[in-house]
Amino acid sequence: MQDLKLCAQDKRGIHELEAGKDLIGWDEVTQGSVLPSFEGDASNVAHLKQEERCYSDFNSYTATVASWRVKKPVFNIDVCIDCQNCWVWCPDTSIISRDKQMLGIDYDHCKGCEVCVEVCPTNPKSLLMFAEQEDLETALSQWPEKKKKEK
Amino acid sequence: MIEIRWHSRAGQGAVTGAKSLGDIVATTGKEVQAFALYGSAKRGAALRAYNRIDDEPIITHEKFMYPDYVLVIDPALAMTDDITMNDKETTKYIITTHLDKESLIKEIPALQGKEDRVFVVDCIQISLDTIGRSIPNAPMLGAFVKVSGMFELDYFLENMKRVLAKFPQKIIDGNMQAITRAYNEVK
Amino acid sequence: MAEKFDLQEREVWDGNYAASQAMRQAKVDVMAAYPITPSTPIVENYGAYVANGYVDGEFVMVESEHAAMSACVGASAAGGRVATATSSQGFALMVEVLYQASGMRLPIVLNVVNRALASPLNVRGDHADMYLGRDSGWIQMDAFNSQEAYDLALCAFKIGENHSVRLPVMVHQDGFITSHTAQNVYPLTDEAAYNFVGEIDPVDDMLDFSRPVTYGAQTEEDWHFEHKAKQHKALMDSVPVIEDVFAEFEKVSGRKYKRVESYMMEDAEVAIVALGTTVETSRVAALRMREQGIKAGVVAPRVFRPFPFDEIRDALENVKSVAVLDRSSPGGAMGAFYNEVSAALYTTENRPLVTNYIYGLGGRDFAVKDAMDIFADQKANADAGHITTDIQQFSGLRGPKLGFFKTKRG
Repeated sequence: MQDLKLCAQDKRGIHELEAGKDLIGWDEVTQGSVLPSFEGDASNVAHLKQEERCYSDFNSYTATVASWRVKKPVFNIDVCIDCQNCWVWCPDTSIISRDKQMLGIDYDHCKGCEVCVEVCPTNPKSLLMFAEQEDLETALSQWPEKKKKEK
Repeated sequence: MIEIRWHSRAGQGAVTGAKSLGDIVATTGKEVQAFALYGSAKRGAALRAYNRIDDEPIITHEKFMYPDYVLVIDPALAMTDDITMNDKETTKYIITTHLDKESLIKEIPALQGKEDRVFVVDCIQISLDTIGRSIPNAPMLGAFVKVSGMFELDYFLENMKRVLAKFPQKIIDGNMQAITRAYNEVK
Repeated sequence: MAEKFDLQEREVWDGNYAASQAMRQAKVDVMAAYPITPSTPIVENYGAYVANGYVDGEFVMVESEHAAMSACVGASAAGGRVATATSSQGFALMVEVLYQASGMRLPIVLNVVNRALASPLNVRGDHADMYLGRDSGWIQMDAFNSQEAYDLALCAFKIGENHSVRLPVMVHQDGFITSHTAQNVYPLTDEAAYNFVGEIDPVDDMLDFSRPVTYGAQTEEDWHFEHKAKQHKALMDSVPVIEDVFAEFEKVSGRKYKRVESYMMEDAEVAIVALGTTVETSRVAALRMREQGIKAGVVAPRVFRPFPFDEIRDALENVKSVAVLDRSSPGGAMGAFYNEVSAALYTTENRPLVTNYIYGLGGRDFAVKDAMDIFADQKANADAGHITTDIQQFSGLRGPKLGFFKTKRG
């Protein structure tokens, strides 16, 4: 299996979004449905990496939508040129990149939409969709060859 | 309570006149009201403006009134508008006209029998001579000061200077002359 | 630093000018506006104060009333003291964003110069726009004259910005009848006014970078109801704060405001319940009725929202016959105000007779005589022990007499 908890805090993706649980009542919801994203002083948060930030429970960081996925994207670091296209396009901020170097996927928040695969410009693609249960070794061993231009 | 109705055309300054009058009356410790019933907002359209003056706070907000004074600052409106509407046996009329009183009353049957309560003054000519434009509101105030006896002329002029403070000196001087002339010429 | 504005102890101001002076004295940070008759001079004057250096705030020109209120929402969420003004069609265009403002608990002050809603087009005063705001979750206060438009505008900031309230506030005045009628107004000094209003202490402000927040979250059936209930509770619970602010205002101004104003009600047998300038005109009528031996009184909600269900009931429960006056076309029902007053009176022991008058639409003059006729109807009802007229009638309407529904009591 790939590293499912790449660059994650302990509490990333720990509960299912919309899982049946005891929801608080009118007397406890926040005023004006205003939701603070972080616990404590977040003055410096722009300079911190995701895994260093102190997200509050109002942020979807602690929730997971992994079960929404039918297929998952697998990342092949040997082909990637770090163009950041997938990072820009991912609608769920689930591409993990550090210092403009692509590292892999946040599988707690990826919904398997395949946009990253679509926008990947390399030949062969650096991201391809595989069955959820496929492990990384097997997936990489099946990676296609570079396609030759047809004349 | 004293109630005043102005008959005017948009652009002749009746609303400003009514508000200036209210402002100055208020300095004497009275409670005042100044408002207007706008016609079409276009320049030249007929409109009516109103003043109320009382010792107590004025709480009625009806437009309806039995006026104590009717001030007509447009000569044609004296002929065409219903200037005697809801009048009383004591209602006084001050009318802008180039005519003398007898000729004017001859033209307006509704004023007949009220000769002793009708006053005339040519506010248009006075404003042309003094301010340089046809703004008959200021002269009408001068005529009103004389007819009502509500103020000393000097007191009114001093306070009018304050109301007009934001205007250039030339305009203020013109207004002072207009008020004074109408005060002296109203008959 | 803002320039000093020259103020007299006694001014002769119309309602618009009075409201704009309150905006200046409260040192509004942002006014975003799209001017519309008859409220135009409020924002126009504020713009002039900015241009002439009398305020340090920002005037934001926008492309519609929808945008005006949207900009107000943004500025208020950022943490500023924010106000604007509108009327009629402009108010209608703002409605969507009014609900956003109250839902986000943003203490924006909106001066509403009441005007009829088209069609047919009309620029004059009735309460159609005011009624359009009645479910929007704003506090709504009602001025009956220029002085009150000034006083309540100052109170509005202090009420809305209070941390246990945090709700937007509308201050209503009647288009033209108040907004364009100059009357004696006794303003506070700039210093006294600002000391009274105080500095805004923002909550969840978006310019606090140490605590980033999300505004405008989506809540479906699992959360929406709880948030709306909490908001409604806040509106209901604003009552003691409103009363405290009125009490504090009395200390600095000598002018006393109550959630429900009652005039000559101690021994009244018949009463008019009304809003706006009609309240004062009806007081003149009540005095004249008393000269004729008819014990007439007037009751008026100063605070229309939260609706003073309790105080309306207390004020009217011992009266025999009550006329509730609605200055808005009722659109196929009894007047909305009539329904609310009736609901309150239904829970009293005495259950006075209650009838409804639609009047003054599009600025139609409501004269003392009209109010006296309504009092005379109530006297006839009181003497008969039941409603003798149609339950809904029209005062000041030309044409054949129009009315709807007869009573089943008595």
